[in-house]
Amino acid sequence: MMKKILTLIGSVLLSSGCAQTAYWTMTDDMNPVAKSTSFEMTIPEGWVRTTQPETWERIDIDGELQTVLLESMAVTYDGLGIHGISVTRRYSDTAFPTIKKKSTANMLPLEAADLYVAELRKRSGLERLKVLSNKPAKVGGKQAFELVMQYKNDDGLRIKIMTYGFVDKTGFYTISYRAPYLYYYDRDYAKFKKLVSSFRQLKGAFDPPPKIPAWAKLFT
Amino acid sequence: MRYILPVILLLTLAGCATTGGVTALTSAKDTENLQDKERRLWHEAGGFDDTIERSGQLYENRSATAYLQSVMDRLYPEFKGKIRIQIYDSTQLNAFALPNGSIYINLGMLARIENEAQLAAVLGHEAVHFVNKHSFLQRVSTKNMAAFAVSGIPFSSLAAASSISGYSRDLEREADAGGYARLVKSGYDPREAHKVFQHLADEVKALDIEEPYFFSSHPQLNDRINEFKSMSARHSGGGRVGSKSYNSIMSPLRLDALRKDIGQDRYRSVILVMEDGSKRAYYPAAGYYYLGEAYSRRDEKGDDKKALDAYRKAEKLAPKFSPTYMRLGMYYMKIGNKGKARHYFNRYLSLASKDANDRGYVQQYLKSL
Repeated sequence: MMKKILTLIGSVLLSSGCAQTAYWTMTDDMNPVAKSTSFEMTIPEGWVRTTQPETWERIDIDGELQTVLLESMAVTYDGLGIHGISVTRRYSDTAFPTIKKKSTANMLPLEAADLYVAELRKRSGLERLKVLSNKPAKVGGKQAFELVMQYKNDDGLRIKIMTYGFVDKTGFYTISYRAPYLYYYDRDYAKFKKLVSSFRQLKGAFDPPPKIPAWAKLFT
Repeated sequence: MRYILPVILLLTLAGCATTGGVTALTSAKDTENLQDKERRLWHEAGGFDDTIERSGQLYENRSATAYLQSVMDRLYPEFKGKIRIQIYDSTQLNAFALPNGSIYINLGMLARIENEAQLAAVLGHEAVHFVNKHSFLQRVSTKNMAAFAVSGIPFSSLAAASSISGYSRDLEREADAGGYARLVKSGYDPREAHKVFQHLADEVKALDIEEPYFFSSHPQLNDRINEFKSMSARHSGGGRVGSKSYNSIMSPLRLDALRKDIGQDRYRSVILVMEDGSKRAYYPAAGYYYLGEAYSRRDEKGDDKKALDAYRKAEKLAPKFSPTYMRLGMYYMKIGNKGKARHYFNRYLSLASKDANDRGYVQQYLKSL
C-alpha cells in the first residue's frame, strides 16, 4: 500500500519517478511567479517550489520501464509527503502513457477526465480511487474538467485530490492538489484555487515538442 | 465400485488432516483451543481484516454478503459463525482465505461465476485452506512475496501474503479435493465446479497474462479443469445448481464490475464477457454501454462503429440507463448533428439522477449547441 501511495504521490505531484532537478526555492512577494516553458502561475507566498520543471520521467508501462517526456513543476508548503500541488504538461503522444492513449485537440474535457482517472488508477495501483465529482471548468480560458477524487490509506486516512485539466493541440495539462482530508485539504484549498486562476499558457507551448535525448534511449 | 471415490476422498482428507503434523479443525469449537503460535497468526490475520475494512477495500452489499454467507454455512455448517465471507472490492478474478476464517471473494469473481454451485466450488476450496490450516503449513516463497507486492492488497503480513498469492501446488490440490467433497456432500451439482477454472482460463487468455500471479503457484488451470471434469464424470447424479437465486442477487454487482473494469482500463475483460453470448447472457442489458466504452478505449480499426453499435443496443435493450444517452449525444455533437445531439442530451438529463457526475458537462454541451 505504501508503495502505491508513493507512486500516486509521484504521479499526481511530480508526475515523475526521477527528481533530477532537486532544486527548491521559497516563494515570496518578490518572486511569486513560477515559469516553465509552456506555462506560468503565481505561487502562494511562503510556499516552496521547484526552480525548473522536470522534463522526463521513467514509468512502468506493461512491466517495462520507459522514458516519457513531460514538463512538470511541484509546489508545497509542508512537504510533498504531506501535501502539494503539481502542474504538468504532457505531450499529445504520451498524454496517458500507462493506458497508452494520446490526447487530441478535439477531445472533450469529459473524455480527458475519464482517461486521466483510468491512467491514475492503473499507474498507482489504487483501484479504489473514488471520483467524488467531475465538473466542467475553465482554466486559462480553455474548456477544462474539475475532478475531485479520494482514496484511503492503510490507516483509513482519507486523501483528497483535486485536479483541473484541459487538452489542446499542444498536449494535456493538469493542475493537481493532493492533501489529507483532515485539516490540510481545507486549509490550502483557497490557495490552490488562486493558483489555478493564475495559470497561463505561454508561447513556448506552441514550440515543436522535444525529442527524447539520446542518453534516455539507453534506458528505454 | 460406488464406494471407491468416498474411500479415496476419505484417505485424501485424512492425509490433509495431519499434513505437516498440523491437526485440521473439525468444528468451530476447535478454534477455542488454539496454540500460542496459531493465536498469533489469528491475531495477525485480524489486523489484516481491519486494514482491509479501514482502507475501504470492502465491497458493501448486505444482501449479496448475506447470501454468500448462507452458501458457506450450507457447505460448512459445523463452522457456522467462524467462517466469515466478505466481498473484496477488486475486479480481478480471485478469492482468498485468511488463517482466522475470514474469506474474501473478489467482486470480479462473483461477476463471472454463473450460479450457486460454481460459487460453492470456490467457497469450498477456500474454506479448506482455513480448516486444514494451510497458512500455518505454507512456507512463503520469494516468488509468492513478489507476486503479493502487485496483487492489489496492502502488504501487512506473511500469513496474508500466502493466503492471497496462493499456496503450494500440493496444498492447492488438497483444497481442490476437499472443496469438491464438500460440494458433493452439500448437494450441489459437481458438474459446475470445473467451469470456475474455465472462467479463470478465459480471463488469462483474454488479458494475455503470461504468468498470472495469483495462479502462478497453483496447478495448471487446464489440469485442474480436467481433474474436476473427471471427478464429476464419476459422480452419478445432478444436484443443486442455484442459477436463479444467484443471478437475481448478482445482477447489479455484475454491472458494477463492468463499470469498475472500464474505470481501471481493463477493457479487454469487458470485451471478453460482452462479446461472448454465453457469458453476456448473465449480464444486464446495460452491459452493452460498457462494451461501447471498452471499444472506445481499445480504439482499434473499426472500434468506432462497434462502440456506436453497442451504445445503440444499450439504448434499445436498457432504455432507462442514462449514461448511454450522454455518449450518443457526444457522438452526434462531434459529427455535427446538433438535432440528434440535443435529443440525446435532453434524454440523459431527464433520466440521470440530480447529482449525477456528468450532468454539468451535458448542460454545458446543450448550451453550446
